[in-house]
Amino acid sequence: MTAIHFRILRGVTKIVTVSGITLCAIGLMSSAIAASPQSLTLGFVVRDWFTEVYNSKFIDECPEGLATSNDEIWWRGLSKVDRARLTDNGLIQNLNRMPTAMRRGPEGENVCLNPTVVKDPPMRVVEGKYSFGANLDENVDGQPTANTCAHNNFTHPDGTTGIDNQMYRLIGCVYGWRRGGLPELNAHEGRGTSGLGMILIEVTRVTDPRNSPDVTVTFYRSVDQFALDGAGRPLPFSSYNIDTANGKQRYGDSLKGSIKDGVLTTARGDVRLPFYGNYNFLHPAIRDMGLKLEIAADGSTAKGTVSGYYDLDEFLYYVGGMVGHTSTGDNCPAMYVAGYQLADGYPDPATGQCTHLSSSFSIGAYAAFVIHPEQNAANTGTDARVDAGLKKP
Amino acid sequence: MNAKTKRIAVLSALAALSALLSSCGDVEPKSTGSPPAMRRLTNDQYRNIIADVFGPQIVVAGQADPLLRTDGLLAVGARSARITPSGFEKFYGLARSISQLVVNEDNRDHLIPCQPASAKGADDACAQQFIAKVGRLLYRRPLLPGELDTAMKSAGLAAQTTGNFYRGLSVALSGMMTTPQFLFVVDETEPDPDQRGHIRLTAYAKASRLSFLLWNTTPHEALLTAAEKGLLHTTEGLSAQVDAMMASPRFEAGVRAFLDDFLRFDQFETLEKDSVIYPAFTVKVVEDAREQVLRTAVDHLVDRQRDYRDLFTTRQTFISGALARIYRVPTTKPSGNAWVPYEFAPDDPRVGLLTQVGFAALASHPGRSSPTLRGRAIREALLCQKVPDPPGNVDFSLFEAADSNNKTARERLTAHRTAPACAGCHKLTDPIGLGLENLDGVGQLRATENGAMIDASGDLDGITFNDAAGLGKAMRENPATTSCLVDRLTAYALGRSATAGQIVFLDYLKATFVKNGYRLPDLMRRIATSEALYAVSAPEVDVKPVQSAAAAVATGAALQEVSP
Repeated sequence: MTAIHFRILRGVTKIVTVSGITLCAIGLMSSAIAASPQSLTLGFVVRDWFTEVYNSKFIDECPEGLATSNDEIWWRGLSKVDRARLTDNGLIQNLNRMPTAMRRGPEGENVCLNPTVVKDPPMRVVEGKYSFGANLDENVDGQPTANTCAHNNFTHPDGTTGIDNQMYRLIGCVYGWRRGGLPELNAHEGRGTSGLGMILIEVTRVTDPRNSPDVTVTFYRSVDQFALDGAGRPLPFSSYNIDTANGKQRYGDSLKGSIKDGVLTTARGDVRLPFYGNYNFLHPAIRDMGLKLEIAADGSTAKGTVSGYYDLDEFLYYVGGMVGHTSTGDNCPAMYVAGYQLADGYPDPATGQCTHLSSSFSIGAYAAFVIHPEQNAANTGTDARVDAGLKKP
Repeated sequence: MNAKTKRIAVLSALAALSALLSSCGDVEPKSTGSPPAMRRLTNDQYRNIIADVFGPQIVVAGQADPLLRTDGLLAVGARSARITPSGFEKFYGLARSISQLVVNEDNRDHLIPCQPASAKGADDACAQQFIAKVGRLLYRRPLLPGELDTAMKSAGLAAQTTGNFYRGLSVALSGMMTTPQFLFVVDETEPDPDQRGHIRLTAYAKASRLSFLLWNTTPHEALLTAAEKGLLHTTEGLSAQVDAMMASPRFEAGVRAFLDDFLRFDQFETLEKDSVIYPAFTVKVVEDAREQVLRTAVDHLVDRQRDYRDLFTTRQTFISGALARIYRVPTTKPSGNAWVPYEFAPDDPRVGLLTQVGFAALASHPGRSSPTLRGRAIREALLCQKVPDPPGNVDFSLFEAADSNNKTARERLTAHRTAPACAGCHKLTDPIGLGLENLDGVGQLRATENGAMIDASGDLDGITFNDAAGLGKAMRENPATTSCLVDRLTAYALGRSATAGQIVFLDYLKATFVKNGYRLPDLMRRIATSEALYAVSAPEVDVKPVQSAAAAVATGAALQEVSP
């Protein structure tokens, strides 16, 4: 093993080469590092964030077909004369007639912003057996617990039973949400070019990048855009400053975890994350969130899953605010009703109505240096020549 | 006188003698000057001049033909540069676009010192004010009567023809910017009043030589005024100007220009890497890699006045966001053009300029490192030693063959050196370049190549080392390292490699460079204030006095080839 040490600013940075594998680690000015000078820090920036959806070849999971869209319901309700008038004899396509189609409330209300003003046919949801995800409630029968409501479990394609993923059950038959659908790809594209909603993962207390029994995983938001290569992929080992407000870092929830054979697995806990997609900013608190991250041998990339209970209201707000993308198959009123029927996590103490959906997301990440505000404050871009009085600022 | 007093007296005498001998070493020896010559402006000089004369808002959109590197320097190649018809078209295009920008409505009010009586025709008085003022800066001396007359006629004729005073000025300006007087830095001479039968550079020619050495641009107003007053012919006057110029922030531009030429950084303009192999090596990295070396060198040599040799062992540098990714280090300024000071840790393998991306990437192949190219670059650029070109019939299959037994460059080169025709030269380069093998083709650290551990040991002129840090130390201790810098800087200043008559001057410079702790600014000052820099000998060809150039302009003669 060859250890190569760097010094930058007032922090300590190390690059550790293990059997030809180079991993980046940043030691910060935290007391944890001071108390344990041997520990390393790994950093990642999340580029890919996709809701996990199990798509079978013949859409067996949706035996009655895909969910009826808002546009279709609106269209069905129109007379021939109105269809011709409102769609220029059919020439106005879904996306462009969407603003009109959404205002189908009895008083012309936008049904995505007011999903209870109409009563639509029940939404078709997933009836299949399989799903990606995790067993969040630690049972296999879907019976209610102190923090969950009754629900049907899935089986993972790898055979694991007791999978909880009511988010998938809700959206799995909406064609826009299925694999390759526009809302997810548009959100992915937006995050890649805007620098918004970027999640940083920092793993501290690492003793060995491939095997560490006790690590701390902390989640932040970045304010720096992705540094991309010529093909539009993020470049590993870029630096990202943590978002701050009044000099203090925002977000920053932590989970305990471990690394075994290059796979980082955390315990479950509540984590608030930044999210941006389809012109919406969210900061969902994912309850009982767990992260499983497989770190590539060269340390430059990682891929894995985030699972936990996703706030239903936050999700419905997201869908309702998607604007143009409701033309991709969503129907807010039916999804609102179905969502509350399927919610399986964290019942409201007063009503017993569950408020969260079990869910799972696949993520892809790139090795990154996570720059803390104190590091930035320690170096505000001054020049050594200025510091030494050799040059005017 | 008692014994103690005698001892003190003897010691005092020895000290005085020592001081005397020491001061003798500071006296510049007489050296023979070079024949007068003309040097074509480099692209950077052209841009600097336009920015200085007209302001940064006048954009130079394009560049001239590249110069041919000669004796290790483009500055020497500039002396034998020729302007081909297509090259002239480029200069003409530049001159035309610049002159149009200068007189356009956005710029004319602050760049033209007067208002014409009418914008719809000629105004000789106003035109003369502008042409005389600008011409002095472009030609680096006052215009001769014939030159002024020619430009005035052009301006007047064009203004009358087009009915536009400003278009007239534009035509005159573009004409001036395509003359030899502008495009070439001319060693104009005059009879030397102190040495009958000899010639000397005119004060204005001295000003040019000084200005291009220290600032890499045309002489500024104060320097031209000093020339006009004859101050540059006096030791005190020359020293005062040199001191003022070296104290200016613009001195950095002069140092950068020399280092850029010395380190052959013009190669960055055509540097490309395989983006599949090195995705992080973006266009921004290329730009920043060049800047990092120059920034580090200027900080070390100029701002901190440190020993030139320590450039090969320093751990202090600056990084940008783009470079931080290559170095795999954090930065608080990951995007944009921000730079932050950075110091590699004492046990870090990156030590000195040779381990910076700028050097490692430049002396490599597009898809892999090259101990041979790196060794050759060190020999030729930094030690001023010639490595012969490879013969045309080299069998690269020995080297390139996919052979699992030859995983590292060392193994492949060992196989390659079995060819007797190759062995001779590779002995000169490979033992040096192998010391940098822990840096891949773009300068990223690596411990292995194709799964095999890299052995970065080597030797430089008998000094063995185990890694890049050791190579840096070997470079630092090699006498050729500092000798080469003096040779190149002198050639850069003179515009030609030293002649036999200038060897004593070189020896003097090398001795004082050592004595003064290898400080580059001190060396530059010695050169700038030396007699040797301005000494000229009788021309090797029949170079007419300055009137001949004026006559050439007056008759509309085309640019002439100039050869020393």
